[in-house]
Amino acid sequence: MSRIVLVLLGLVAAAALVALPAFGGLATLNLANKIMIAAVFALGFNLLWGQAGLPSFGHAAYYGVGTFATIYMMDAIDRGGAFPTPLLPLVGAGAGFLFGLVAGWFATVRSGVYFAMITVAIAELVSALAQKWEGLFGGEAGIRSIRTNWGPLDFQSTGSVYYLTLVWTLIVLLALYGLQRSPFGLVVRGIRERELRIRFLGYDAHRVKTVVFALSAAVSGLAGGLLAISDESASMVLFGGAGSAFVVLNTVIGGAGVFLGPVIGAALTTSFAYFGSSLSHFWPFYLGVVFVVTVLFAPEGIGGAILARWRRVRDGAGPLIGLGDLAGLAGAVLAMAGLVLLIELTGTICSEAYRAEIASLKGVWPPVRIFAISFAPLTPWPWLVGLVALIGGSRLALGAGRPILPRLFAGRPGPRADQTRPGESA
Amino acid sequence: MLDVANLHAAYGHVKVLNGVTFQVPDATIATILGRNGSGRSSTCKAVMGLLPPSRGAVRIGTRDLAGLPAHEVARAGVAYVPEDRQIFRNLSVEENMILGMKAGRSGRPAWTIDELYDVFPRLRERRNVKAGFLSGGEQQMLTLFRSVLGNPDVILIDEPTEGLAPKVVEALAETILEMKRRGLAILLLEQKLAMVMRLTDRVFVMGRGEIVFSGSVEAFQADDEIRRAWLEVS
Repeated sequence: MSRIVLVLLGLVAAAALVALPAFGGLATLNLANKIMIAAVFALGFNLLWGQAGLPSFGHAAYYGVGTFATIYMMDAIDRGGAFPTPLLPLVGAGAGFLFGLVAGWFATVRSGVYFAMITVAIAELVSALAQKWEGLFGGEAGIRSIRTNWGPLDFQSTGSVYYLTLVWTLIVLLALYGLQRSPFGLVVRGIRERELRIRFLGYDAHRVKTVVFALSAAVSGLAGGLLAISDESASMVLFGGAGSAFVVLNTVIGGAGVFLGPVIGAALTTSFAYFGSSLSHFWPFYLGVVFVVTVLFAPEGIGGAILARWRRVRDGAGPLIGLGDLAGLAGAVLAMAGLVLLIELTGTICSEAYRAEIASLKGVWPPVRIFAISFAPLTPWPWLVGLVALIGGSRLALGAGRPILPRLFAGRPGPRADQTRPGESA
Repeated sequence: MLDVANLHAAYGHVKVLNGVTFQVPDATIATILGRNGSGRSSTCKAVMGLLPPSRGAVRIGTRDLAGLPAHEVARAGVAYVPEDRQIFRNLSVEENMILGMKAGRSGRPAWTIDELYDVFPRLRERRNVKAGFLSGGEQQMLTLFRSVLGNPDVILIDEPTEGLAPKVVEALAETILEMKRRGLAILLLEQKLAMVMRLTDRVFVMGRGEIVFSGSVEAFQADDEIRRAWLEVS
């Protein structure tokens, strides 16, 4: 029964994706492209994190290498090379794989924090190299190339790029799903659970981790290749810390423990950035808040929360949406509104533009307009309303939702109990 | 056959093994007895490549495994069932078993998941349950089965009966005897005597990083002096 529902849902989603260019505008297609690229990148990252339990905080390196390699191949095609354009993402994947093989061999010598530090160091190394080596990476301006048609296939329109990206995204999804269910995937999950035991069972854990790292880098490089096809350019900005951070954000918000979690996270944050950046200067701050709230109250991510809810309904343990959930949702919306009010007010009155306005009005503070409503920043009311909404909404949301915070703290001994030394106690 | 000869090992400057020598022939159950700190677990770790021996040999057949990394020792046909079980808690029972599967090196009939389920049917009932939800005894059986599925020639089992219900001990003993029938060299590490005495063919007693007694069960039971000096807590 539930399997049929899932298959039907999948078919509907596939049909919607195929039909999108027919009714979506250019902006929609561009957004969809960005989401799919971010999703493939996050899926690659999560192969390492969710499956092998290895947190890489420098994955932008493999993404960027994939982009640059693909741009160079596009250039070669433009000059008369015979490589088929639809297979270009494989160039990014190949570059990511080779680089990942070398980097992964070093990084996976260690686990946990040390592993993460090595990945950051490698990413910084590549980033510094990209800044210095203008001949290869094109300096500030970056490098560009163009898509070449291949046989009967035309790749000039956004729609054609969309379909190419869609096909590759589906290929990656299927391949990673197959990998996860394969015996190799089982060994990888075993490494996440207990690496030592995996060695006792006769597996060379370091070799397995190196291969997983390289595969993860290959998928990231493939995402970079898709970006190259879509943007027809690459620059050293790709290697910056933001790229590495965003993929972590996407994966955590979507849920590392759920196969489609990174896709959910990529769709949400990419849309958030797309719409949020036109609404507010402070959208990265709100994204950060979403990240922190997710880690605190839904550590399994949105995907994990959906899965838990679905299981609850399936087992008959509760309704899909209860009264408590509605109250919690209302509280969350209220808290969000309060937070937005406070942040926009503070942000605006601290901005250069606002200072200039005060100066031009000879010391009078003009009203701050937030979503077509004017607020007088020098009266206490907007601030009070914002604070009350934030605190009241949070309390409502916490009370109605799962009160995780008290449980988090109840499980651990307080600092006083820890610090008591023999002889000190009365 | 497991042949350990003059094995020395140390943690930094602290010597823990001072020339350990013993053999476990095929189709034999041997038991190393000894107090805590006598060097039993260190012997295991040295054989498995976790504690690199400074001197000596660990031979399976004619091949010397001393100092090889753990996964190569495992591939050479040595399985290790640790005291702390080390199951993959978030994988299902069956996935745990599948991870242990490995082709054997000798021509013995391969173990199958189904026949092991027959020995301990409770695990068949719970095959799709995450292993972290199993009871202690079920986890112990799962660890043992996972090791057996690698079709080893030699198996080291650390404190197999620690804290187990009698029924589980029964299934455990049955599995160990079946291993013996199939020709494995089995080495048990125990603190308590009762259970192993009805299984074991040979007894080794360890003290201060050496084998201080080696002989049959009868010889061991006749030797009050050894028991008093090296095993009984005064």
